[in-house]
Amino acid sequence: MTAAARLRGVTRRFGAVTALGEVDFELAPGEIHGLLGENGAGKTTLARILAGLLAPDAGGVEIGGRSVALRSAREARALGVAMVHQHFSLVPRFTGLENIALFNAGAWTGRGTEAPDYRALVRARARELKLEVELDAPVAGLGVGERQRIEVLKALMSETGVLLLDEPTAVLAPREVEGLFAVLRRVAEAGTGIVLVAHKLDEVLAVADRVTVLRRGRRVLTEEAGKVTAAGLAEAMVGEPVGRPGREHPPGRGPRGLEPEPVATLEGVTVRSGGTPLLRDVDLAVRPGEILGIAGVDGNGQRTLAAVLAGIRTPDKGTATLPREVGWIPQDRGEEGLVNDFTIIENVAFALHGKAAYRRGPWFDWAGVEETAGSLMREMDVRAESPETTAGTLSGGNQQRVVAGREFLRSAEMLVAESPTRGLDVKATVAVRARIAGLATTPSAGAREHQTTRRPPAAPKRPPGIVLISADLDEILELSHRIAVMVRGRLIPVPRDRHTRTAIGELMLGAQQGGGPR
Amino acid sequence: MNHPPTTATLLALLATLACNVDRKQDDVPATDPPTPHVALLTSGPVSDAGWHAGAYEGLQLIGDSLGFEVSHQQTRTPAEFDEAFISYAEDGYGLIFGHGFEYQDAASRAGEQYPDVTFVVSGGSRPSANVVPLLFHLNEASYLAGMAAGAVTAAGIVGMVGGVEIPTAKGTFVAFEAGVKAVRADAAVLETFTGDWYDPSAAKEAAAAQLRQGADVLIHNLDAASFGFFQAVREAREGGSEAWAFGMNRDQNDVAPDVIVGSAVINIPAMFLRTATAWRDGTLGGVAEYAGLRVGAVEFVPNPAQEGVIPPEALARIDEARQAIIAGELEVPRIEYLEPEDDDPPSP
Amino acid sequence: MNRTLTPVLTATAALAATLAVAAALLALGGHSPGAVFAALLRGAFGTWDRFFSFTLVRATPLLLTGLAVALAFKARVWNIGAEGQLHAGALAGVAVAILLPVHSPLLVLPATLAAAAAAGALWAAVPAAMKTRMGVGEVITTLLMNFVAVFLAQFLVQGPLQEPRGVFNQTDEIPLAARLPALLPDTRLHLGFLLGIVIAVALWLYLTRTPGGFRLRAVGASPRAAEVSGRFRAGPVVWLAFLTSGAIAGLAGWIQVAGVTHRMYEGLSPGWGYTAIAVALLARLNPLAVVVTAIVFGALSAGGGAMQREAGVPEVWVRGIEALVILAVLTVDRSWQVLAGGGSRD
Repeated sequence: MTAAARLRGVTRRFGAVTALGEVDFELAPGEIHGLLGENGAGKTTLARILAGLLAPDAGGVEIGGRSVALRSAREARALGVAMVHQHFSLVPRFTGLENIALFNAGAWTGRGTEAPDYRALVRARARELKLEVELDAPVAGLGVGERQRIEVLKALMSETGVLLLDEPTAVLAPREVEGLFAVLRRVAEAGTGIVLVAHKLDEVLAVADRVTVLRRGRRVLTEEAGKVTAAGLAEAMVGEPVGRPGREHPPGRGPRGLEPEPVATLEGVTVRSGGTPLLRDVDLAVRPGEILGIAGVDGNGQRTLAAVLAGIRTPDKGTATLPREVGWIPQDRGEEGLVNDFTIIENVAFALHGKAAYRRGPWFDWAGVEETAGSLMREMDVRAESPETTAGTLSGGNQQRVVAGREFLRSAEMLVAESPTRGLDVKATVAVRARIAGLATTPSAGAREHQTTRRPPAAPKRPPGIVLISADLDEILELSHRIAVMVRGRLIPVPRDRHTRTAIGELMLGAQQGGGPR
Repeated sequence: MNHPPTTATLLALLATLACNVDRKQDDVPATDPPTPHVALLTSGPVSDAGWHAGAYEGLQLIGDSLGFEVSHQQTRTPAEFDEAFISYAEDGYGLIFGHGFEYQDAASRAGEQYPDVTFVVSGGSRPSANVVPLLFHLNEASYLAGMAAGAVTAAGIVGMVGGVEIPTAKGTFVAFEAGVKAVRADAAVLETFTGDWYDPSAAKEAAAAQLRQGADVLIHNLDAASFGFFQAVREAREGGSEAWAFGMNRDQNDVAPDVIVGSAVINIPAMFLRTATAWRDGTLGGVAEYAGLRVGAVEFVPNPAQEGVIPPEALARIDEARQAIIAGELEVPRIEYLEPEDDDPPSP
Repeated sequence: MNRTLTPVLTATAALAATLAVAAALLALGGHSPGAVFAALLRGAFGTWDRFFSFTLVRATPLLLTGLAVALAFKARVWNIGAEGQLHAGALAGVAVAILLPVHSPLLVLPATLAAAAAAGALWAAVPAAMKTRMGVGEVITTLLMNFVAVFLAQFLVQGPLQEPRGVFNQTDEIPLAARLPALLPDTRLHLGFLLGIVIAVALWLYLTRTPGGFRLRAVGASPRAAEVSGRFRAGPVVWLAFLTSGAIAGLAGWIQVAGVTHRMYEGLSPGWGYTAIAVALLARLNPLAVVVTAIVFGALSAGGGAMQREAGVPEVWVRGIEALVILAVLTVDRSWQVLAGGGSRD
């Protein structure tokens, strides 16, 4: 049978780094092929070569059995290759329909007299794929899951033999993941070969027909999904046996006895945007040493809650009592967590620019910041040439480590973590989760280690309270002492005896039964 | 993060370059044979077919007739005035024209610094030993044009459209008005300044507005904007009204022969040549130079294509007035702008 | 790559490319390119006096307005209004110089400089308020404020500030006490140039070495990241950038009057506030590099005069060559970016 796509001995270098070395890869028509690997293993590079976004330095590319030299995404698209990127490529001010039309402009600019009602065409395709999409609202106002469905629909509007998805599940709630996989299976059944770049081994094994593992630019394994285990894959990715993330900090291990004073409280907090309520009458207390997990389908008010907790959004009603400093790992590290043009040092400086300890008279103590950034890189295992490396050139996982490291550093009494392990590989996920759990159990906040020699201590007397906002239920269940679910701007506490996947999933689903998160 | 710059290095580089070029320049002596050098500064383009073009023609005339070396620079800002005067003086130019009142300050400064160089300022206001205001008495020609206008107007209303309201422009209008009233004492006079020498549409609008107010004879003091002015009069004629225009500065009779009765003309080239000759002969300096009817620097020229529009008896009166002005018997009104402390009258 | 050297090299390369094109055009126009360029160099660098009195004097207003633009752009404040702020500063300085009943330079100079800076800042405050309060884009508002300033200047020099004789549309000469002293004896180079250098160094130190400068750069790079990661509001930083930029541009206007023209009149500036945008962009918004690019533009302008005087090249050509330089710079700059940015990430 002709392969949908094939790479033969493909090599691609970036400067001195070999991102891909002599990799063979084959995608059969109608198969879902999981592509696994740590950050920097070459997964995205492989996908981008197939999508025509990068040219290989050596080796050959075949699409549909024909040898091709792709010079642009447009050429790849013409051959039936479509890619859904990790960071979506949608025009924020355009509606879903407009974005889809823009991408498929050839079909839409009315070449041909039939001039089909494009909306009807898109609707029909969405029904066919059983994709629920909002076509008429600007995508800027949509949740990540909704945007992703638009991306997928956009890619599948025309004949597609090869569909590439880069980390599609990283941002989705369990139900949405299931929905996406159902769509992918239908698409595959129709004969499209699908490459699924992913981190979550369980998910990949649940949906993929075959898996390929890359390690440091080399292909180390290709196998049918039924013949491998998650542990085996993790070992192949890392090159050594690793413990599975989590389970070392089982839920319910919170502080006992007398409940300490909360570090932050929200009472009856309501936030509106225009006339639309984003938060409705939210009550919340975060106590030192506890991890409060907030689950929910994306777009139910979690963003606003984080902004209120971080002190950059003032409630329209109700009161927010907050500590002086709050660490906040924002969801969108590209836009909010980092400045891509800034160096790692400068990005770390975001947490330090207001601190007297990093000031010499009128001057910013850049040497001190650089030192702090250096030790942060060591601790968080940030892989970069030097602290002077610009953040934009780091891989997604390394970027997230910089953000997480910086927010741990902010001598915080409270940490708000929004999807902190999104886009991280197994090792980094373990490290970040352990770090979060560790922060909660001991008062040794990350900042203190940096304060020992240079800085006069402003050490917190008690461990920080942590608010973990995540659409990843596993993460919530692993780490949280208490759990609440966000549903259409309301915060619903989950009693401890209902801390199960099913129970919480039901609460989250309840939100959607009630008409969706819009 | 940024590192300390290499500005110092760069400046040093420039300095080295400067020294090298300097040496090169010494090889090219500008003053070696005593060919006199004459320079001209204008603050507008010499392609304007008007004020600046006249000066440039004058410069060429000096070169052709007297065999002098000539050079021209168009300056944009007063900061450049000083620079240009100094450069020319340093390069051995002995006579430098600054064609406009705006050069007066810079010429006075340069005059002190370079006593051996003579600076001529067209429309200047402060004479000294080597700074010579060149005063074009265009008002004398404008007065004669006014007499013609007074004879031509049927409505008894005449209009004047100016560019920027500067003394020289204002002076031509004062004289024009006096000329009109000398012929027709009851005439009414309209006056508009558009604020722009070069904007034809503004000039056209201003002229059209005066025509609507009943004026049937118009004169202007504009530069390149005069095309719009003439267009307004042409359109009025096409609309059936008996309107006429007068040209100014250059002989514009051939610019719009269908609407122009005559032009009040400055002969800038002739005056420049006269000034340069005086400089060569050592008779220039100390006082402002009079450039009026008597020395042939200005003239009123009826349009040959519209002969008969000015009645013959009016032409005779105009000629009488011309003789009276030349003889010093008739004083044409003007705007005095020589500075009081150096209150030298124009040389007799 | 050395970030300060890069713009300098960019400027040099652009200049070379431009000179080649210009040489071809000049030859076609019947001028000897060699003689023309020799004149250009002589005019700009021919003697120490030319370098100081011509090139640096011409560079001074470009330096100050260039710094004003660079600072604003650094904070993503698109201040196209340096031209208007310059006029506002010049008017305020002249007004104070003429009306202040004091004659000690020690009092008059600081008072006039302060007035000019304040007027420039005030002129920038209007678009700043419209941007931060109402979300009106500053590109339009700063541009429109330019016209207001230019017309205001026209009105004032024809009316309230006109010279007492009331003849020409210009102010009286400013008193000696208000004039900037010469920086070097026997040159026309005035204290204003030094002031420009001091401001350049101060801005550079501020941007690279202080927390406030870091915040300003952060707002320029990503206002959202500044708020979320930096935990500070972009609004005050935007105000600061607007006001400081306006103040520096205001100083540019008054310094030109106090150092060179000694009176205010219509058309004081031939568009320095706009050329400043090219000066700042060419310097990649680095204040120290602005010093260099302003001198390059000053040299080009001074050399342009010599091209007319000594080689008979018309003024229009000189302007054309200046425009060529800007085009060449943009082209070279872009191609360098492409060359340098070949890499990607996984």
